[in-house]
Amino acid sequence: MEETKTSSQGGESDMDCSDNECFDEYYYNLNDDSDIEQIDPRKIDPEYFEFKCLFEEEVDRLLNETVETLSNILQISPSLAKVLLHTHQWNINEVTRKFHENPSHTLVSSRIEPATTPNALLLTRYTTCPVCVTPQPLDKFYSLTCAHMFCKDCWIMHFEVQINQGISTGIACMARDCVVLAPEDFVLKHLHRPNMREKYQQFSFQDYVKSHPELRFCPGPNCSMVVHSREVKAKRAICDQCKTVFCFRCGCDYHAPTDCQVIKKWLTKCADDSETANYISAHTKDCPKCHICIEKNGGCNHMQCYNCKHDFCWMCLGDWKSHGSEYYECSRYRENPNIAHESVHAQAREALKKYLHYYERWENHSKSLKLEEQTLDKLRTRINQKVMSGLGTWIDWQYLFTAANLLAKCRYTLQYTYPYAYYMDAGSRKELFEYQQAQLEAEIENLSWKIERAETTDRGDLENQMDIAEKRRTTLLKDFLDV
Amino acid sequence: MANIAAQRIKREFKEVIKSEEVAKCAIKVELLNDSYTELKGEIAGPPDTPYEGGNFVLEIKVPETYPFNPPKVRFITKIWHPNISSVTGAICLDILKDQWAAAMTLRTVLLSLQALLSAAEPDDPQDAVVARQYKENLEMFQLTARHWTNVYAGGPHVNSDCDEKIKRLVDMGIEDHQARAALSSYNWDLERATEQLFS
Repeated sequence: MEETKTSSQGGESDMDCSDNECFDEYYYNLNDDSDIEQIDPRKIDPEYFEFKCLFEEEVDRLLNETVETLSNILQISPSLAKVLLHTHQWNINEVTRKFHENPSHTLVSSRIEPATTPNALLLTRYTTCPVCVTPQPLDKFYSLTCAHMFCKDCWIMHFEVQINQGISTGIACMARDCVVLAPEDFVLKHLHRPNMREKYQQFSFQDYVKSHPELRFCPGPNCSMVVHSREVKAKRAICDQCKTVFCFRCGCDYHAPTDCQVIKKWLTKCADDSETANYISAHTKDCPKCHICIEKNGGCNHMQCYNCKHDFCWMCLGDWKSHGSEYYECSRYRENPNIAHESVHAQAREALKKYLHYYERWENHSKSLKLEEQTLDKLRTRINQKVMSGLGTWIDWQYLFTAANLLAKCRYTLQYTYPYAYYMDAGSRKELFEYQQAQLEAEIENLSWKIERAETTDRGDLENQMDIAEKRRTTLLKDFLDV
Repeated sequence: MANIAAQRIKREFKEVIKSEEVAKCAIKVELLNDSYTELKGEIAGPPDTPYEGGNFVLEIKVPETYPFNPPKVRFITKIWHPNISSVTGAICLDILKDQWAAAMTLRTVLLSLQALLSAAEPDDPQDAVVARQYKENLEMFQLTARHWTNVYAGGPHVNSDCDEKIKRLVDMGIEDHQARAALSSYNWDLERATEQLFS
């Protein structure tokens, strides 16, 4: 689909532009253009986020620059500098500080050197390798800084087995209880098979990116792009290549205004069977005698357990014998210890009701978004019909797509307000939130209604509605997006 | 099987046979086939533990990538221990997983397993039921482990109270081991074990 990137209005209302790219372009231009007054974009747009999409080669270059800098500062080999950076989340200042404070401790804790000085080994011209137990000439033996000697063939086998299990930067010495890591140059010196070298480099690249707080792999399927941002926040990142939208901090679907922990909790909750358990708890009771689980699906309150044939009252769970004909008044049995049981059920029922309230809305908006393709198809068909019957040209109707994109964006945010509200504590802040949420919802419905019924003459009205909906969205985010 | 694995196992087999632990009857290995891929191990229950006097048989499978990957080991003899499954005999021990080093041998594995019997790690359990009993009721755990050692590993301590309770369940038509497992899981509470078995 072709997207219209232009926006008719200037200034602040540029926000209704549906594509983040043109957002960025706009602000980048703003920064470049000295004619326009410098405004902090973070203040206008709560979702403003500066990031860059990098290809693998660019990431390599970025990492290598850091490695080179450290290797120059500390006068160590690039390979060791890489291990140090990897174990210190690529924080070059931290590594330098620690190294200058206590070089040997830093090397030990980064698993570059052994904690205890290795024993000098008594080596004869022929030595037996402890792994393959074959006697071999001394020049075939190699060791890491820990001086644990193994033959070249065993090192190669060790590396290949580890790499085939997906381990690269974490390959350690083969000796018992030795934690010294094999640095990159040591591994690559021995590893000759091209496909193994390639695998090793690929896995270590992944390890490096994952350990770097400012880098994130694009979560898009089969996408190898890496997003780089100096600001490690739960903001919206978009991949240049595959267009996947994700949260920079956790790599999941973008989830403003909800934060990373809460959305994770919510998604687990929705996927979890515990809600089934909650359902059982809310809709069933246990027989007071044999504790079998009973679901009442109609009939009177005089229950007979099908399992143990115990007669009891469904309301108070008391023995039916003591009930006589007064069971409609069994609320007076509240003194009964079973009532504690009952209140647990009541609590569970209440909790389920609350959860379902938020879940239904969340699910509803999620479904609407999934139907977006269909909505666009319908829009296309409608425009075709209009154009065929002479009501404007195809170009005249393009603004409807911009509106539909904005609608999707607003719905998306609205969807993610429900988990946020679910976990909010009751109080004035929640009231404010739910007020704003309701306002946003109302404007979204208005917009949706207007898009469905728009005529060529309604463009002004529709654009006005778009502006209102987007303003509601940004207002809510400004007040509650806390990243 | 890779040459290096067979070579190592041959060598280690000799190492174990000649070791002083074998002389003290503490550990033992036997070959089960000519290709050195399967072995039978045996360890003696360490003194001053509920396993004392018992003899525990292990299944050892040697992978093709041995010694670069650890051997696969599990208990054949049934045992009551927080880090060993009372059902399958699967073992939770770091050196059999990510802490394995190519320079380790069968002898070190057997000795580590013996050490595991002396010092359980209930916070890293393989069998959650056993681990809970170990943490909440150590005496009950020791009694149960001793009883299992007596029945399955030839340990000397007969517990007539346990035997009596098991017999009651067996009389009701429950299989011997099933009865023991249920009673062990419910701290030898006959009523609760019965309830669980018949529900």
